[in-house]
Amino acid sequence: MNHQGGWELIKNTWQSWLQHRGFFFLLAFGWMLPLLVYLFIWSAAAGDGSIAGLTQETLAGYYLILILTNQFTYATTNWTVGDTIRMGQISRWLIQPMSPLFHALSAEIAGKVVFMLFSIPVTGLLALIIQPQFNLTWSQGGLFLPAILVAWVLRFFWGYWLALLAFWATRADSLLTLQDTFIFLFGGHLAPLALLPSWMQPWARILPFRYMSAFPVEVLTGHLRHNEILWGFVIQAGWSLTAIILYRLVWSRGVRHYESVGG
Amino acid sequence: MFYIKLILAFFKTSTQSELAYRSNFFIRLLNSFLNLLTGVLSLVVIFNQVETLQGWDMPSALALLGIYLLLGALRELFIGPSLESVTGMDGEIWTGTFDFTLLRPVDKQFLLSFRHWRIFALFDLLLALVVLGAAMGLLGSDLSFGAVLSFILMLLAGLVLLYAALLAFSALVFWNSGFLFTWIINDLFQLARYPVSLYPNWLRLILTWIIPVGLMTTIPAQALIGTLSPWMTALTLLFSLSSLFAASILLQHGLRKYTSASS
Repeated sequence: MNHQGGWELIKNTWQSWLQHRGFFFLLAFGWMLPLLVYLFIWSAAAGDGSIAGLTQETLAGYYLILILTNQFTYATTNWTVGDTIRMGQISRWLIQPMSPLFHALSAEIAGKVVFMLFSIPVTGLLALIIQPQFNLTWSQGGLFLPAILVAWVLRFFWGYWLALLAFWATRADSLLTLQDTFIFLFGGHLAPLALLPSWMQPWARILPFRYMSAFPVEVLTGHLRHNEILWGFVIQAGWSLTAIILYRLVWSRGVRHYESVGG
Repeated sequence: MFYIKLILAFFKTSTQSELAYRSNFFIRLLNSFLNLLTGVLSLVVIFNQVETLQGWDMPSALALLGIYLLLGALRELFIGPSLESVTGMDGEIWTGTFDFTLLRPVDKQFLLSFRHWRIFALFDLLLALVVLGAAMGLLGSDLSFGAVLSFILMLLAGLVLLYAALLAFSALVFWNSGFLFTWIINDLFQLARYPVSLYPNWLRLILTWIIPVGLMTTIPAQALIGTLSPWMTALTLLFSLSSLFAASILLQHGLRKYTSASS
């Protein structure tokens, strides 16, 4: 397999994406807003006191890190994979002497570079205005890194196998909308896990969506006990493995099913 | 009369072209339901934690959600698609086909605002009315005839404000054709989901006076629950009409600046 070609492709894509910064900055702004809305809502609910143990300052810390984590794990590529299949451009990927996964990965990494150029300064500025409070320790930081990386792997491959269903159904991308809705509800966006009603909490812990966005944040901000962290990693790894297996299955069947039209 | 006939003709042709995409119908249906589900579930989660949020209880927040959905549906029905088709991504300004639009013997602002219709948004409109109806049922005996009358008046003022803001942001495209100004206002409109008084002071001032998305939904909701003072009613009417006037002037200036994009 040609890895060098893949790396060149990655570099190329991110440099070309930087040319269109304005567009991507707007997208990043749009993803940031809903999280800010719920930061303000819960801050208003906490008032000068606290709500379920969370004060305005810790809520601000949670949501600001969530904005960055969500931006990092959001797999923008999955929205375009379906189009590539529908338009038949995937034919070109298939004949190149490297894994077609590199195309998705190159867009992913390009996206991370461009979106972070917007999100990090803006989140920093917001931190100056709303004064978050963190109590970070080295061990939490050390656990955060694997948690966020696996969260990205899980979110990327979960969206990717859904997007690859475009081999059979033209509008498979509506499943991605569904995924985003579930992440909003169960992934710590609408509310930190502790603030969800008791009937929603078990679902949030079992379903994969929390492990795509909120879990790394909870690890970093110290909201979890030791065994909760341990179980979190186990469930996260389990879902990631499932997502990768599903991706390989859907991909190999899909490519066999694929037939391009036109000329 | 001529303009009403034109609107009917536009509505008919838009509907015919949209009905060609039948499977889109189910996707739209799914998206409408998801939008409703997240909206209502968000309120359930919030008011599971607190009884009231700075004076807003569940029924009044639900009324505000209904207004938000109603304005969103009206935007989606014609204002949004009509403006987008000219100033949005791959719109007429980008491609240069705006020349043909300018040559038509009809008022330009009218053409920009009413040309394209999305019939599926009527379903969103219906859902919004259901939410609003449910909220009014919950508010029950607190509703007076005068409040409902003032609510309808303020709802119209909110619609005028939304239209003026969308028109003004769209008009900015004549100064910088590469930037998607309408996306910003669409993103910011999400903040209108909740009463503007829940946001921090600096944001509240921006959302009231600079980009008045806060007023569009909060004021009609206040009118409905009867907490809107008469002088705020008068001020909102004045403000919405002058915004409309200012946006039209901005558009006229922009139109004069327009030079065709292609050769």
